[in-house]
Amino acid sequence: MAVTTRLTWSEEKSLQKMLGNVSLRLLYKSSVHGNKTSSILDKCTCQGPTVTMIYIRNTTVGILMLRPYSKTYDHLKRPTPTFYFSYQRNIATEMRTEVLETETKIASGQLVFYSSGQEVLSVCLNDTKLSINDSLSKALGVYTRSDINYLECEVFRVEGIEDDTNYIRKITRATKHRNPLLAELRTYKPCADFVSKIRILLLGPVGSGKSSFINSVKSVFQGRLTRQAPVGSDVTSITEQYRIYPIKYGNYGDYLPFSLCDSMGLHEKEGVGLCMDDIPYILKGCMPDRYQLNPNKPITPNHPNFISTPSLKDSIHCVAYVIDINSINDLSSKMVAKLKQVQKEVLSCGIACVLLLTKVTNCSEFLQDNSLNMDKSMTSQSQIMHVSKMLSVPIYNTFVVENYTSEWELDPLKDTQILFVLRQMLRVAEDFFEDLP
Amino acid sequence: MAVATRLTGMQEKKLQNYFGGKQFTLLYKATVHEFSEDNLLQKCCDQGPTVMVIYGGAYVLGAYIRESYKRDDRVPIVLFAFQENEISECNIGVDSPSSFLYQYNRKWDDSGFLLNLEQKKVNMNLDTFKKLGLPQNRPISFEECEVFRCEDLLDKRIMKGITQLHDKLLADMRIYRPHRDLIHQIRILLLGPTGAGKSSFFNSVKSVFRGHVTHQALVGSDTTGVSDKYRTYSIKDPRADRPLPFILCDSMGLGEREKGLCMDDIVYILKGHISDRYQFDSTKAITPGHSNYIDYPLLKDRIHCAAFVFDINSVEYLSRDMMAKIKKIRRELIKCGVVHVVLLTHVDSMDLVTRGDLRDIYSCMPVKLKLETVHRELGFALSDILVVSNYTSEWELDPVKDVLILSALRQMLWAADDFLEDLLLEETGRCIWWYRHLEVSAVWLLPAWICWVPGSSLCPCRSLSCE
Repeated sequence: MAVTTRLTWSEEKSLQKMLGNVSLRLLYKSSVHGNKTSSILDKCTCQGPTVTMIYIRNTTVGILMLRPYSKTYDHLKRPTPTFYFSYQRNIATEMRTEVLETETKIASGQLVFYSSGQEVLSVCLNDTKLSINDSLSKALGVYTRSDINYLECEVFRVEGIEDDTNYIRKITRATKHRNPLLAELRTYKPCADFVSKIRILLLGPVGSGKSSFINSVKSVFQGRLTRQAPVGSDVTSITEQYRIYPIKYGNYGDYLPFSLCDSMGLHEKEGVGLCMDDIPYILKGCMPDRYQLNPNKPITPNHPNFISTPSLKDSIHCVAYVIDINSINDLSSKMVAKLKQVQKEVLSCGIACVLLLTKVTNCSEFLQDNSLNMDKSMTSQSQIMHVSKMLSVPIYNTFVVENYTSEWELDPLKDTQILFVLRQMLRVAEDFFEDLP
Repeated sequence: MAVATRLTGMQEKKLQNYFGGKQFTLLYKATVHEFSEDNLLQKCCDQGPTVMVIYGGAYVLGAYIRESYKRDDRVPIVLFAFQENEISECNIGVDSPSSFLYQYNRKWDDSGFLLNLEQKKVNMNLDTFKKLGLPQNRPISFEECEVFRCEDLLDKRIMKGITQLHDKLLADMRIYRPHRDLIHQIRILLLGPTGAGKSSFFNSVKSVFRGHVTHQALVGSDTTGVSDKYRTYSIKDPRADRPLPFILCDSMGLGEREKGLCMDDIVYILKGHISDRYQFDSTKAITPGHSNYIDYPLLKDRIHCAAFVFDINSVEYLSRDMMAKIKKIRRELIKCGVVHVVLLTHVDSMDLVTRGDLRDIYSCMPVKLKLETVHRELGFALSDILVVSNYTSEWELDPVKDVLILSALRQMLWAADDFLEDLLLEETGRCIWWYRHLEVSAVWLLPAWICWVPGSSLCPCRSLSCE
C-alpha cells in the first residue's frame, strides 16, 4: 500500500495555509505502518514539530505539537502549548481550535494527552478508538458520548515554522480573531450620528503601498483578491488620481460605513508626486473623487468639481501615513521635511493620524497575543521609534501590515492583521469626532 | 537541530526531475537521527520508493531505491552522483538494505555499494566510481546522510484533486455573471509582443471549454505576427445554447519602433470604438468614419480587463523600446480605469519545469525567480502576474494545464468585476438605467435620435466618458 495521505489535495492546501503557510510531510500512516505506538515512535521520534491527524468519518481531529515525539517519557512530561483543531471533511478553512498546556504520554498502545493532570484526549491505537473529554470536545465541536472508532491515524512533520515561541499564538490569532473581526467591521457603525461614513486618507512616499493596502482591505471583504486600485512600481507614482474607494462586503453586499482615500505618492523632488498645496484641500474635503492630480499645480476653487462648502462627512477623519518599513532608514531629508510639513497641516486640521508600516514580512510574529499590537521587541527598534517621533504619531498608533501583493489567494493570517489595522484606524477616527467642538 | 535537507534548491529540483517528477519527504537525517543503521531502517522501511543522499566534502552522491523495502528485502538500487550540476548514474542491480548497511567489513565482492554509518564511510567498486565520475581514492568519508521518500508530483490523489478543481472552475465560469449584470459578456483584451501567445491563449481557452483541442485563431511565430486583424472571439458554451460570459479580444502584436500595433489604436480599442475584423495599420490609427469605427460605443463594447501576454522565456530580454511601450500602455490603461493583469505563457518549456510543477506553479522555484524579475523590471505587482501553459502542439487536453488556464481566466473575470464595480461608483445611475433599458426593450424600438444625437444628455455613452 502506498504511503499517501488520506487528506484530499484541497484539504492539504487549506490546512497548510491555516497552519501558517507550512508544509506537511507524512511520516507515519497507521494502515501502512501498523497500529502500534512503537511504529509511531520509530517513524516520528526526533522529527521536529508534528501534527497528528485522526480521521473519523466526516470529521478530522488534529493535534499540533511543537515538541517532537520522543522515546523517553521524561521529555514529554513537561507541559507545553499544544494546538488542537477539528474540521468537517473538505472545509479545513473553518476549523475549530483550542490551545491547551499539555503533557503527552505514549505507552502500552495508547497516546494520551493530559492537561493540568486531567486526560483530555487519548488515542487507543490497538483498537482504533479516540476519546475526548467534555470540554475539549465542546471546543472542537466533536460531540460524542463514548469512544469513537476512527478510520486512520497519520503523523506529519510540520515544516516552515520560523519562530517557535510565537507560532501557536500566531495561528490561533488567525483562527480565533479573523471571523469575529470581520463580523465586527461588517456591522460597524460610526458612533457619531452626524457622519454616516468615515473617511481615511492614505499618504506616503511613492511606492509605499497605499493602493496595495486599499486592494488588501477590499480583498478581505470581497473574499477574493481584488485589483481595483492600480498598483505597481515605477519611478513616478502609479496613482495619478485622487480616489475615494468605498468598501463593499461580498459580491452583492452593501457598502460598509467607511471609505479609503488614495492619493498620489509623495516624492522628494519638487514638481514630482503629490503637490503639497493639494493636501489642505484633500483634508478639508474640497477635492472630488477621481480628480486628476497635477504635481505642479494644486486644485483651484475654479475647478468645475471643486467642493466649495464641504461638510463634515466630506472631510478626512483619519490620516494614515504609509511607509515601507524597509525604507525608513533611507528616507531622504527632503522626504522627511515633506512628511513633517504634511503632519503640520494634518494637526492644524485637528485630524487624528496613524502610522502604517508596510512590506513587513512575517509581521504577525511581531505582535502581542491578545491586542494584536506590536510587541516590545518590535517597538524598541530605534528606526520605528524614530519615525513615530518624527511624525509625532504615538507608538500605540503605529501598525505593521503585509499587503496582498505577492500571492494569488487569501491568507487568514494576513486577513486578520489587515482587519485589525482597519479597526484601529476607525477607532482613531472616532476620537476625532469626540474631539469636535 | 531542524530536520531540513542540505540539498540546495537547485540540486533538489534536478534530482526530483531526474527520477521523473517527484516530490521529496525527508525521513531520516543522520546528524539529527544519529549515524545509526537501526535508526535509518526504523525511519525508512515501508515508506515507498526512497532516495538516499550522501554528502562527502565536495561530493554529493546517493542511491535511489524504486521500491518500498523491509530490512531483508532485495530491492533494485541505482547509484547516482552530482558532477557539477549534472547527474551521472550507475545501476548496480539488486541488494538488500541489511547487506549494504551492515556488511561494510565483509569480504569485498562485486556488489558495488557499501555504507558504514558509524564510521561515516561509503565504498563502491572501482568500476562504479568510474561510472559515477568520482575520484578513485576510495572509500569516501561523508559528514551527512539523508533519506527521502519519493512521491509522484501527480499521483492519483493529486490528480483527483486537480480534476475536482477543474470541474469546479469550469462550472463557476459557466454560471459566472458580470458584476450586477451590467453586461452579458466581459471583454478581455490581449496585448503583447508579436509571438507571445495571445492567439494561442484564445485557442487554449476555447479548447478547455470545448473539451478538445481546437485551433480557430491562426497562430504563428512570424516576425510580423500572424494576427493583423482585430478579432473579438466569443465562445459558445457547448452545454448550453448561449455564449460563455466573456469575449477574448485578440490584437495585433506589439512590434519594435513603428512596427506592430499602432499605439494610438489602443485607446480606441479600450473605449470600444473598434469593431471585430478591423484591419490594423501599423502606421496610422483608425479614424472616425472608418467602416469599423463605432461612434458611440456602449459599456458592453468597451474593454473591461486587459492582459499583457509575454512568453515567459523571453520576457526578461525585451528591448528598451518594448519596455517603454508597455509602460506607456499601462499608464494608458490606468488612465482609462481598465484593470490589467500579466499573462506569462509557455511556462512548460522553461528549464527544469516539469508537468508535475504545473500543479503548484507559483511555488516552483525557477518560476518564482522569473516572476520576481518581471516584477522588478516591468513594475507589475506579483499577484497581477499569472502563469499559463497554452495548447500549441498537443492534441489531447490535460487537466493540469486546464486548471492553470481556467485559474488565469477567473482572475481576469474578477479583475473585470473590479472595473465594473468602480464604474458604478461614478454617478452613472441614469446611464445604467438607460443601458439596461436599451438591452431589455429591443434597441430598434427606440427612436434613433436617443442613441445617435451627439451631445444628447440621453445618450448612454456620454456619461460613461467615451468622448
